[in-house]
Amino acid sequence: MLELRRISKTFNPGTINEVRSLQELSLSIEDGSFVTVIGTNGSGKSTLLNAVAGGFFVDAGSIHLGGRDVTRWPEHRRAAFIGRVFQNPFSGTAPTMSIAENLSLAARRGRPRGFGPALGAGWMRELQERVRVLNMGLESRLANAIGTLSGGERQALTLLMATWLRPELLLLDEHTAALDPKSGDKVIRVSEEIIARDKLTALMVTHSMSQAATLGDRLIMMHRGRIIYDVRGAEKRRVRPAELLARFEELRRGEQLDETAADMLKRTYI
Amino acid sequence: MTLVIGALTIGLILSVLALGIYISFRIFDFPDITAEGSITLGAAVAATLLVSGVNPFVATTAAFFAGSAAGALTGVLHTKFKINGLLSGILVMTALYSVNLHVMGKSNVPLLSSLTLGNYAENAAQLLGMTDESLRLGGWEVSVRDLSILVGVFGAIAATAFALDRFFRTHLGTAMRATGDNPQMIRALGVDVSAMMILGLAVANGLVAVSGALLAQYQGFADVQMGIGMLVWGLASVIIGEALVGVRSLGLAIVGTVMGSVLFRLLVAMALRWGLDPNDLKLITAVFVFGALVLPTVLSKLRARTPQVAHA
Repeated sequence: MLELRRISKTFNPGTINEVRSLQELSLSIEDGSFVTVIGTNGSGKSTLLNAVAGGFFVDAGSIHLGGRDVTRWPEHRRAAFIGRVFQNPFSGTAPTMSIAENLSLAARRGRPRGFGPALGAGWMRELQERVRVLNMGLESRLANAIGTLSGGERQALTLLMATWLRPELLLLDEHTAALDPKSGDKVIRVSEEIIARDKLTALMVTHSMSQAATLGDRLIMMHRGRIIYDVRGAEKRRVRPAELLARFEELRRGEQLDETAADMLKRTYI
Repeated sequence: MTLVIGALTIGLILSVLALGIYISFRIFDFPDITAEGSITLGAAVAATLLVSGVNPFVATTAAFFAGSAAGALTGVLHTKFKINGLLSGILVMTALYSVNLHVMGKSNVPLLSSLTLGNYAENAAQLLGMTDESLRLGGWEVSVRDLSILVGVFGAIAATAFALDRFFRTHLGTAMRATGDNPQMIRALGVDVSAMMILGLAVANGLVAVSGALLAQYQGFADVQMGIGMLVWGLASVIIGEALVGVRSLGLAIVGTVMGSVLFRLLVAMALRWGLDPNDLKLITAVFVFGALVLPTVLSKLRARTPQVAHA
């Protein structure tokens, strides 16, 4: 269970570049729920994920994960409960290390790392079995450096790494945005499979209306650091991509209206 | 022959320094100039302890921990106080100059009458039945003392290299490598990147200090100036090693670094014998490292240009 209580984050406060990325945002996600997040550029959706992961501390409000108040926990400490896949396929893996070594790093997420060998004999067998699930033929290339793999293969592996130990929360940050459509589809299929198989609680930011509409059991739309639309259950299943696009269009028109209105007010009163 | 044995021994001793530089420079991509202070610190600590009659093994171990403390301090300055990496190293290196003078009490400590690790090597040779002053090896007269020290140093360096290779294959060691490779990823896997970097720099400078301790015992003195230029020396060894064996695997890189250090020392000894002015040594080393750093980019640019020229 993830609970965000009125969290706020402003970047570059007091400067001309001030951005209010999150504005008193509250959200609670039940265990086993798969939530997709959409929003306009700069709406704060990636900031939301980063706030939960601990990339920065929020200015106000609190973050609770599984009953623990993690608001002031550094990122590496929260990682014991959170699995993460980044937008950039280069972010989630260590390129000069082998597939096997990367996975063994993931297998100790949030656990003490001692002087035991990273690649024990029994471990390699377990590895092969679990990598085979991806159906990419990677199980025969475990000794290869990750840097030699394609973006899609890397993202699939990052996903496997993030979920190797069952996380209390899986964060997916536009993890197919940098991939070609075919590998993107593949990674989405694997994501769905793993989330369903392990009954994971997941928060997935996406730029694709069709992904947002078809995946998960709850949909959130963000705008200017706030949640402006939140549907779940039967209502969520009825959502169509076209509908979401229409809402975006509406937002854009509202935005323009805002600007002209502001201009008008300026002209009148200043 | 004495010259060759001497060059091999110093090359092997400095390969411990090179392994330390390999950790900071290649694994963490951190040009750690602390090394120039910590090699002297290692020599100073070991020499001072040896003069007061401490067991050489204990003195060398103490040097390791002194160097580790210096490296950890650089790591803390860099990660906790967010000081630029190079500057953190410069601060600690500068401070160490005074520390080293305090440790030694003067600028140079001779070890002529002290028991050193060299004596152990000599004793071991005598136990093995080599009681003569010298023996004939392939037609050359070789001092038993020099040879036994070379063999002893070789054994110690082989053990160090092996231990390092094992370490970087443990859970902790792989996490350390990943910290240098992709900090964002390893943080998301629950590793405290700052702590890992501090630990890595501590190990690196511990090794550098051991190299200083061994060097002081071999050459018979510790000197406050002995660290100057050592970072670039270590870089040269690492780069030569990569040219010799490639960078395909960690084990190869470690062996290559040791080989690079030995080869570089041999080349230098030969150049000096052929009349190279010792004053030019650091200039040449710096130019060499410069060349090795820019050559790959220059070569790839040339390669990229060639087809266009052919078309035109």
